[in-house]
Amino acid sequence: MESMVAANIRARPARTFISVLAVAIGVILMLTIGGIVSGTLNEYLGRTIGVGADFMLQQSGASVFYALSSATLPAKLEQKLKEIPGVGVVTPILANFSSADFGLVFGIDLASYNEFPGRLQITSGRSSLTGNEVIVDELYARLHKLQPGASLTILNHSFTVTGICRPGAVVRIFVPLKTLQDLNESQGKVTFMFIKAAAAADLGKLEASLNEALPGYKFRSTKDETMLLADTKMPGMKEFQFTVIIVSMLLSFMVILVAMYTTIFERTREIGILKSLGASRSFIVGMILKETVIISGLGVLFGIGVSEIARKAITSAFPTLQVSMTFTEVMTACVLGLLGGALGALYPAYKAAKMDPVRALTYE
Amino acid sequence: MADIPAEFHIQTVDLTKIYQSGRVEVPALLNVDLTVQAGEFLAIMGPSGCGKSTLLHLLGGLMQPSRGQIWIDGIDIAQLTDAERTDVRRRKVGYIFQRFNLLPTLSAKGNIELAKKIHGNGHAYPYKSEEIIEMLGLSDKINFRPSELSGGEQQRVAIARALINHPAIILADEPTGSLDSRTAQQVLRILQKLNEQLSQTIVMITHDSEAASIAGRIVEMRDGQIFNHHSHLVYEPELEGLL
Repeated sequence: MESMVAANIRARPARTFISVLAVAIGVILMLTIGGIVSGTLNEYLGRTIGVGADFMLQQSGASVFYALSSATLPAKLEQKLKEIPGVGVVTPILANFSSADFGLVFGIDLASYNEFPGRLQITSGRSSLTGNEVIVDELYARLHKLQPGASLTILNHSFTVTGICRPGAVVRIFVPLKTLQDLNESQGKVTFMFIKAAAAADLGKLEASLNEALPGYKFRSTKDETMLLADTKMPGMKEFQFTVIIVSMLLSFMVILVAMYTTIFERTREIGILKSLGASRSFIVGMILKETVIISGLGVLFGIGVSEIARKAITSAFPTLQVSMTFTEVMTACVLGLLGGALGALYPAYKAAKMDPVRALTYE
Repeated sequence: MADIPAEFHIQTVDLTKIYQSGRVEVPALLNVDLTVQAGEFLAIMGPSGCGKSTLLHLLGGLMQPSRGQIWIDGIDIAQLTDAERTDVRRRKVGYIFQRFNLLPTLSAKGNIELAKKIHGNGHAYPYKSEEIIEMLGLSDKINFRPSELSGGEQQRVAIARALINHPAIILADEPTGSLDSRTAQQVLRILQKLNEQLSQTIVMITHDSEAASIAGRIVEMRDGQIFNHHSHLVYEPELEGLL
């Protein structure tokens, strides 16, 4: 049988298009903005794990997002840590956010940093980091057209590129720890330290020893992303994601509400006809909800398609930016897009179901 | 439940409908007692505002009476909730309207099958859509939308839609009111054929005495009351307009 729902959708192309577009925009917002946030976050955490440290030492209450932590950790703790049995390598790091690059700059001690499995693998130039020298990764070099020997101004300071390393290190720009401390006026202070256990050391026992030796500090396991994420304390992150979801859902909800409400008035007589044929309230509610689910479904599919195109366009234009679009994220956007639409159709559907059939039949 | 003779498809007892307009009570129907036997073709005539449409809406369960009983095929629908009346309407009533009331987005076939769909799957359909479509001479118009059909064709689609679920009663509200005389004749002949050949019970309201003349019985209404019964009306064109 010819579907009344499909016929209604076809009969009102402008209404259908606007509704589909609104749902799609909601989905695009969720997948693209949410994707940039979670993509950046995941990449960030992934690269942290990639260093190959077993623990991170931070001030108690500090965030795993180094940019948000101030340099308040005494650098001299490095020595104290090295004296703890089971500790293999320690490297202190000062993290500084470069607003011009919208990314982090690490001040490192290259020698100790390179003792970790995720050491800087120089592909061009030389492995040297003293004074005003800087090492950048290949992506950053390509983006800024840098070669070894080129000059680079970051944090209002002029550096010379000595080496270009493989991407995948925690950040894309490395400068000497001492230089960054001087620039930051935070001599003797670092943001955090990576700790690698000695071969054959028991990590559980080592963690206990670390906590015992330095009470009041935070030792965070860097072995897996879940543990890092579970301990994530990025202020406003959850609120931001929640806001994006709510705005997206509200968009679908409001547009579907208005579109379906208007449609119900337009179709008053049709609803009267359905009632005269014996259509129950549930039949009418079902008809409107089916129509909405199809419209929302089209919007979701359109939104996913555009989001995928946007993801490719963003990562192509900004290679340093990661946009995550996992199956779970897509499914979440699908459910929320459909839910927003369905909720928006509930009131119009209720109004339609409650219409007086005699009045509806005489509606002009 | 049924304390009315089984052969009565419809019986109203003391049926009254009073509309409330602010503080003013406007009686539309007063103490109407009416019976319609199974297989009967009844025409209800009367001037505008006499309560014909209100009576038809009440018989179809589209509204609740202020007082009285409405027995439809053994069920007093005046006692039922809105949902229960809807169920009775779905199972037992087929409507034909003056303005056809087809869904503009659906084809002729879509409109006919919509009634089938609303009726539900549990019903053993006595007619296939194709048979009714053929019977009403709509075979070549089946995929046309209402806007592509003439008035007569639209009304035939509406008749097919009313018939598809084999209702106990067909309620026709001025079915020829929007048609030219030739097309009106065709539609009336169809209704007459349905009554005579399929013993379909039909209640039709009309202003038109020619239309009423095909009915087996005619009741006349005035001021919300039935004031006259005719066993049959012989149509006399010169008397047209006197009623």
